[in-house]
Amino acid sequence: MNKLDQAGWAMLNLDLAQQQLMKMPYAGFLGVELRVGPEGLETITVDRADLIGNTNLPALHGGVIGSLLDITGLLTLVFLKSLDNAPRLVDMDIDYLRSGQARPTYGRAEIVRGGRRIANVRALLWQDDPERPIAIGRLQFLLPKAKV
Amino acid sequence: MSLFLKSLKELPPFGQALGMVLDEADSEPGVAVLLPGAEHLSGHADDGVFHTGVILATIDNTAGWCIRDHRDYAEGTSMATLDLRVDFVNPASLSETLRVRAVCEGFDGDIAFVRATAETTTTKVLIATGQATFMLGTPSTPNPATASKVVGGAVE
Repeated sequence: MNKLDQAGWAMLNLDLAQQQLMKMPYAGFLGVELRVGPEGLETITVDRADLIGNTNLPALHGGVIGSLLDITGLLTLVFLKSLDNAPRLVDMDIDYLRSGQARPTYGRAEIVRGGRRIANVRALLWQDDPERPIAIGRLQFLLPKAKV
Repeated sequence: MSLFLKSLKELPPFGQALGMVLDEADSEPGVAVLLPGAEHLSGHADDGVFHTGVILATIDNTAGWCIRDHRDYAEGTSMATLDLRVDFVNPASLSETLRVRAVCEGFDGDIAFVRATAETTTTKVLIATGQATFMLGTPSTPNPATASKVVGGAVE
């Protein structure tokens, strides 16, 4: 693929990911936004008082971190595999590496293996430095049935 | 349910935002939290089911609470989730209320192990199961229950 094709492909698939994001009220409530960076699709979520779990630190709720890994994994799958329908999360496993500060959180994901029915995805979240992730997730998705 | 949890009404801001409620009528082991369906918890506009992240968040919250409810927990000790695994067994309709129950399976010094389930309250369908590990205390503020056992030194 030449550079121009690649840019066109990214725009088309960003549009698919945006469509899935708009159909996901919970992601809208969290305030998740999308962009395409040098490494591919990225989610951005701005911190807000009602996303906090520990008010003393303060730190993002562990459930917010898990949810952002889930949403980042799903939308990356839509983006990379040009899906028209949302895959279904079967299970996920989160390692919490650092506490999530009250500041913007970025996410990205990669497909470890994309089969016909199941995709194994690895997602990560970071705040100041992608090399210092606050959490990583291993996610298994059931892919939507291909159109016959 | 311990006296501590009976007096605990304060949800973390995110728990409040999702609409979690402590199930005070619950008499079974561990801690139970109710989560009524609501539009902003929807995973897909066309399907009307709970988003998987919402279920995960409620499991995470309930797991933390069941540790604070444990007899070996020293009140005020900080707590960090090390890992959490969730299996999403069935989708849950937003017309339902979820009940998430978490039970602390073991408490080994600074580490606590928790298992949790989520089910629908009316149809009793299993929605998800979860397993989490927590670390208690920090280097600067150790867990008082284990602070006297100095690693590699004399035990006081």
